[in-house]
Amino acid sequence: MSTTNLDQRTSINLTEDTIRVSALHAFAYCPRLFYLEEVEELYTQDSAVFAGRRLHEEIDKQEDEEWLDLYLEDEILGLRGRVDALRTREGQTIPYEHKRGRCHRDENKQPQAWDSDKLQILAYCCLLEASLGITVIEGRIRYHADNVLIHVPVDDQGRQWVSDTIKQARELRKSAYRPPVVNNEYLCSRCSLSPVCLPEEARLAHNKEWHPVRLFPQDDEREVIHVLEPGTRIGRTGEQLKISRRNEADEKVSIQQVSQVVLHSFSQISTQALHFLSYKDVGIHFVSGGGRYVGSLDTRNGSIQRRIRQYEALTKSDFCLELARKLVKCRGEGQRKFLMRGKRNIKRKSPDLEKAIAQMKAVLKQVPQVESLESLLGFEGNLAALYFGALPNILGKDVSDSLGFAGRNRRPPKDRFNAMLSFGYSLLIKDVMNAILTVGLEPALGFYHQPRTQAPPLALDLMEIFRVPLVDMIVVTSINRQQWDTETDFDVRGQQVWLSDSGRRKFINLYEQRKAESWKHPVTGYSLTYRRLLELEVRLLEKEWCGEGGLFGQLIVR
Amino acid sequence: MAELKNWYLICYDIRCPKRWRKAYKLLEGYGERLQYSIFRCWLSQRMREKLRWELEKILTTEDDLILIRLSQQCVRDLPKYNRSNTWLLDEKGFRVI
Repeated sequence: MSTTNLDQRTSINLTEDTIRVSALHAFAYCPRLFYLEEVEELYTQDSAVFAGRRLHEEIDKQEDEEWLDLYLEDEILGLRGRVDALRTREGQTIPYEHKRGRCHRDENKQPQAWDSDKLQILAYCCLLEASLGITVIEGRIRYHADNVLIHVPVDDQGRQWVSDTIKQARELRKSAYRPPVVNNEYLCSRCSLSPVCLPEEARLAHNKEWHPVRLFPQDDEREVIHVLEPGTRIGRTGEQLKISRRNEADEKVSIQQVSQVVLHSFSQISTQALHFLSYKDVGIHFVSGGGRYVGSLDTRNGSIQRRIRQYEALTKSDFCLELARKLVKCRGEGQRKFLMRGKRNIKRKSPDLEKAIAQMKAVLKQVPQVESLESLLGFEGNLAALYFGALPNILGKDVSDSLGFAGRNRRPPKDRFNAMLSFGYSLLIKDVMNAILTVGLEPALGFYHQPRTQAPPLALDLMEIFRVPLVDMIVVTSINRQQWDTETDFDVRGQQVWLSDSGRRKFINLYEQRKAESWKHPVTGYSLTYRRLLELEVRLLEKEWCGEGGLFGQLIVR
Repeated sequence: MAELKNWYLICYDIRCPKRWRKAYKLLEGYGERLQYSIFRCWLSQRMREKLRWELEKILTTEDDLILIRLSQQCVRDLPKYNRSNTWLLDEKGFRVI
């Protein structure tokens, strides 16, 4: 007996890991959920997950001595897992599974186990039989919400079901293709992974008539902490961030309320704080004193499947061209719409502005037919020249000359307008990078911008969509509203112009307030804040190469 | 599953200083201390359940814990019958230091 056992053990492929019973449960619920968790290593826990864990903690405390909780693994069967409870009833060993929710009711309103739960308890039974060498006659599931106990008898059919499912799950784990969304939307509305999987958006991509229900959180209310003052120190104390400044009392912020820490110029952060922030998935970004984006802490581990698919897709030149055309169109339309909006606000007639708007329309018409990335760059240059050429026309007539605009220049910016644009784009690329890192894509491989050492191309690509709504608009409107002081808010050194400390503070305020405004997504039809839109857009981009495309690059201001 | 958030009052009475300290530190990560043993936290359902689970691992049956969800109306009316500065709201979403 033992020798045959050994032979079998050596004959199976040892690199093939066992599957968790709870992953098998996920597989029975939705193969896509299983794939996202097991292969792509995406986990998001929702309230039900934590409530379930708490139930187990509470049962733990209430139970008397017959409580037994076991971690089991069997390589031949290919399963591992922790049995909720094991009891002996009339000489038989019976595994128990506790569920927080309600049971399934059949046509006659009789209580039944849900299919995925039934499979899970059967899997535990098989695991017990295989690793303890006993025969289990049944498993039991208790549904706590309606207090129902269901007996699941173990028979050969059940054992077959378990081993078939293990085989299917193993196949899927080796596959490089993400399974499609399931047909039953009810499952998605209950699923903890829906903000990552975006099932409703995938359905919309296949069926334009679909009215998506929003499963994506509307807003992220956690704070972005900008540290401008040099010499400020960020540390950790308990579950809080501690911000210490010279001559001021320490400030403490709860970690759950922080989404990013942005360190401008030379503020300090401790290693403990860095560890803590990475552990809690908080973004850490560095911006130089001159307002240049320096970099971000990249804590991605895993997410390799997503990046492999990205490499595969973005090395196909046709595919890149297609995406690039969408992007240039999106940005150009946005610029044109912004000029048109500006035209409404100024009273006087401006023939230059009219002309530029008309010319942009003509150029934009040609964009979908462009045949190469090089000529696309030419078209983009054309659009940008027309746009920036017409931009001074939408500034109010009482704006002082020193805030005027006469063409884009940078590195370093030579006038106040350009200094604001440059600083704004630095903040924007920081937020785009944050979204890319959150989703787990590779920022260094883009589809439009070519690889350079300066900045990550994918971030530059995605940034194009948000330049107009998040930066250009606030610069122009704040100038028209006379919100700037030409002396104190800027730092003029000969040819070079920077924002001064107070200017940067003012700009960050305007920018962050803008990000908190919500915008109705033109395709999905629900509104989100810009903070969330950034992340949604990256996820929609990822869908472009997963067979669920068509929603990327549709954000055009009206 | 748009994440609706609410203010919660979280009050506890913990018999052992060791557990008390653990719970106190944990709660500091979620919200603001109003008084000893009373915190206020701005939580979604997801975060509330996470917090309850984490607390459950620390507390024992002899400790007391109560979470009170405040409706939007409750929070709106709070300044009417309290000292000023009792319940300040700061919902900017960013902080410049």
